[in-house]
Amino acid sequence: MKILAFDTSNKPLTVAVVEDGKCLARMDSSEEKTHSVSLLPDIQESLEKSGLNVSDIDRIAVAAGPGSYTGVRIAVTVAKTLAFTLAKPLVGISSLRLLAANGTDGKLIVAVEDARNDNAFAGAYIDKSGEVVNVIEDQHIAMDQLFEKLGNYPEEQVEFVNVSEHLAELIQDAMPKASVVLTKDSLPDSVKLAQIAENTEPVKDINAFVPTYLRLTQAEHDWIKKGHKEDGNISYVEEI
Amino acid sequence: MKKDTLILSFESSCDETSVAVIKNGKEILSNIIATQIKSHQRFGGVVPEVASRHHVEEITICIQMAMDEAEVDYDDLDAVAVTYGPGLVGSLLIGIMAAKTVAFAHDLPLIKSNHLAGHIYSAKFVTDLEYPFMALLVSGGHTELVYVKAPGEFETLGDTRDDAVGEAYDKIGRVLGINYPAGKEVDRLAGIGQDTFNFPRAMVQEDNLDFSFSGLKSAFINTVHHADQVHEELSKEDLAASFQGAVLDILANKTFRAIKTHPVKQLVVAGGVAANQGLRSRLASEIAKRNDDIELVFPPLRLCGDNAAMIGAIAQIQYDKKDFADLTVNADPSLDF
Repeated sequence: MKILAFDTSNKPLTVAVVEDGKCLARMDSSEEKTHSVSLLPDIQESLEKSGLNVSDIDRIAVAAGPGSYTGVRIAVTVAKTLAFTLAKPLVGISSLRLLAANGTDGKLIVAVEDARNDNAFAGAYIDKSGEVVNVIEDQHIAMDQLFEKLGNYPEEQVEFVNVSEHLAELIQDAMPKASVVLTKDSLPDSVKLAQIAENTEPVKDINAFVPTYLRLTQAEHDWIKKGHKEDGNISYVEEI
Repeated sequence: MKKDTLILSFESSCDETSVAVIKNGKEILSNIIATQIKSHQRFGGVVPEVASRHHVEEITICIQMAMDEAEVDYDDLDAVAVTYGPGLVGSLLIGIMAAKTVAFAHDLPLIKSNHLAGHIYSAKFVTDLEYPFMALLVSGGHTELVYVKAPGEFETLGDTRDDAVGEAYDKIGRVLGINYPAGKEVDRLAGIGQDTFNFPRAMVQEDNLDFSFSGLKSAFINTVHHADQVHEELSKEDLAASFQGAVLDILANKTFRAIKTHPVKQLVVAGGVAANQGLRSRLASEIAKRNDDIELVFPPLRLCGDNAAMIGAIAQIQYDKKDFADLTVNADPSLDF
């Protein structure tokens, strides 16, 4: 199976073409590129290096968030449109699940993305003889609450991955025996994304595929706080 | 005989997701518009992050509908066009990424189009354009007088110094208790009321073609607040008529000043505020009064708001000039001519 996989959820950009688990071509950048500018040229170049045409691809895999809202939307829009327009299967993988693939086997791997103000997007995963199990659901969470949730696990068994310098300080204070893998040492890997996607069920409705934000927008949050309720019968977007 | 050109066009610069299939730059085979107005009405105006999220929800549905309604396949298409600015960056990016993806997937040329130029070329669906012509572009984001010298060649003669005209309508609408977008209701009330408040006509004496609406807006708001303080009830209809009277005086004054220095045979009025009935009849009566030999061109109401058909119209001119873009196209939120 030939898979085109890419992730622009955060600062790094990673694109790979993978056939039956083997990388045919990959392009990675860790510095801040403009994802909206680079993503399609990088996909094009990866396919050229693989000697493949985009129509030869059997499956499209994308990291679907959480992450930077705009970053996630860029990859998801490209993945969704490509799958739609070429009628190819599409697989969306949690961006935290992908980062957790950079953890150490046997550890409780806690993938985190710094969401500012001592908050994070976080999810915990354990690799049990090759099968990765999600033990704490992906969520937007205050770091002190996350530490509380991790209280049941032996501290030295916990490994945080994709840790910013600021989160590293918080972890050092709260869970000094836990191991920490900094962001620069746990960049998202699109080859791993393709490998995970190969064994994941494709999405059923490509039109309905949207990023996993894990947070309402501020405007919606405030609106609900004022006592408004989402009315399932109202369609907020209408064709005119 | 020259072969027909079919362009699949995208527009997502604000709160409408739109995809169209346009033949030869002037025939609409499909023009799907998904509007988010009901969503943003919850917040009293467009919230950029909410808009971006809706665009991702709608984009492939709109492509599907546009292709189905036009009864075309990707092999039938000659190019893909997209608005790359001006607009909200997060919104623009969805249309841009989708258009780039379709162009790449089907090996089609890509055209990046200016949203403002698109609005002006919505006139193409009404009449054949004769160059040079004048365009008055009036919307929630723009108020400009544009001299169009030749196909796709624009010169901005006047611009707003502060608020866009549609933005002023929304702001005074809020004071009258009218939800965004307020233009249609203010226009309706203005048609009933009388211009009794004599609001200021900013810059009409000045010898330039620029607009200003913030003084008018402030005068309006101050009048209403003062009446509230002294518990005086003002007529909403007269307030609306007085506001609109000032707006129309300003727009008409500057437009005909521009036509005097730059003679033209056609005046195109485009953008969301071009749907305003007061503006339509005012410009028509001014032309009749002046005995000017000018054709007044208003796009149909459906094409006044944001839509992808207009992008297909301007893109055809770029297609003919082989003005193609590559896959590095990015959003340019403050793009001008």
